[in-house]
Amino acid sequence: MVPGVVQVAVLVARTDTHAVLVDGLLVYPTGFDFDLAVRRRPGHPHRHRHRGHLWGDDLRLEVRFADGRSADNNPRRWPRPSGDQLPDPPLLYQSTSGADGGHVWLWGLPPPGPLTFACHWPSEQIPPSQAELDAGLVLAAAARATTLWPDEASSP
Amino acid sequence: MTTSEPPELPEPEVEYRRPAWYEPPADVVPGIVSVELILARTPQRAIGLTGIRAYPIGFGCTLHLRLREVIPGEQSNFGAFNMLDEGVDPAGEFADYYLRFGVGFADGRKATNLQQRHDFDEGPAPDPPTLRLVRWEGYDRLAWEVDVWVWGLPPAGPLAFVCEWPARGIPESRVEIDAGLVLEAAGRAVPIWPDQPR
Repeated sequence: MVPGVVQVAVLVARTDTHAVLVDGLLVYPTGFDFDLAVRRRPGHPHRHRHRGHLWGDDLRLEVRFADGRSADNNPRRWPRPSGDQLPDPPLLYQSTSGADGGHVWLWGLPPPGPLTFACHWPSEQIPPSQAELDAGLVLAAAARATTLWPDEASSP
Repeated sequence: MTTSEPPELPEPEVEYRRPAWYEPPADVVPGIVSVELILARTPQRAIGLTGIRAYPIGFGCTLHLRLREVIPGEQSNFGAFNMLDEGVDPAGEFADYYLRFGVGFADGRKATNLQQRHDFDEGPAPDPPTLRLVRWEGYDRLAWEVDVWVWGLPPAGPLAFVCEWPARGIPESRVEIDAGLVLEAAGRAVPIWPDQPR
């Protein structure tokens, strides 16, 4: 499929030195993916951190639906594979992560209402921060996702 | 015998300042164009384009490369990532499996992935427009997303997206949009730190 586009980017957090941006929101009928982008203010150096990789050192992200369901990027909360049984949505999978953020897939579409992105990065002095997006924008984008090869048995 | 931790070395502070043509600006929230395009589609393969993100100095977009099924013997590499010139034969021609993608402005200027520069610290800045592949992510052998950065905004008029993928049966294919959509979105881009000197 070719996804539908959400026509806004979401500034989730901003300090004097860092910003966290949700950008490139692309939506499919089953969920959406986006770039979780960490931006550094020009003129403020990037500090390398040569220490063991712990989830606690990374940017923490939680996505909350209007009905109270939520998912976060803590890998210890990923469900264990259990045959063909799918986990209950939402489920957040961050495929790449690093000092500049990463790429995220969120399985499950939100209900109408506010869709909240919340982040926290203690090691980079980013306090708990959040921003909301109208989930209607996501649902409208999902409706615009295009099937590339419709079932040949169905009408064109 | 006592054990002790080795002294912690001072952490170097290195500021990376890549030129504007190399990647999107890090201190700007882009304006986004809500377009979803299918650049090319055959019974087995397709190329989509979405998510035009516009800035005052250029725009980015995402290519969606799709295979309907894995074809035995077909290259798993989509041939779009010419980081090591692996798509170029000794005569300097790009192999048929190499995906060609480019943009064309209404004033005749164009930029393609066949002319990418990666040596941002050597030589003067190129003339706009330029095009670079800045991120690629694959979910399986059937799908890749490729982020493209075009430095330089188009003039008013048609903005063309062109692709060609000879080894996969996709001839040169062209889709146009109104460049005004990109220019209007660039006007909606906002600096993250408004008091930052520019």
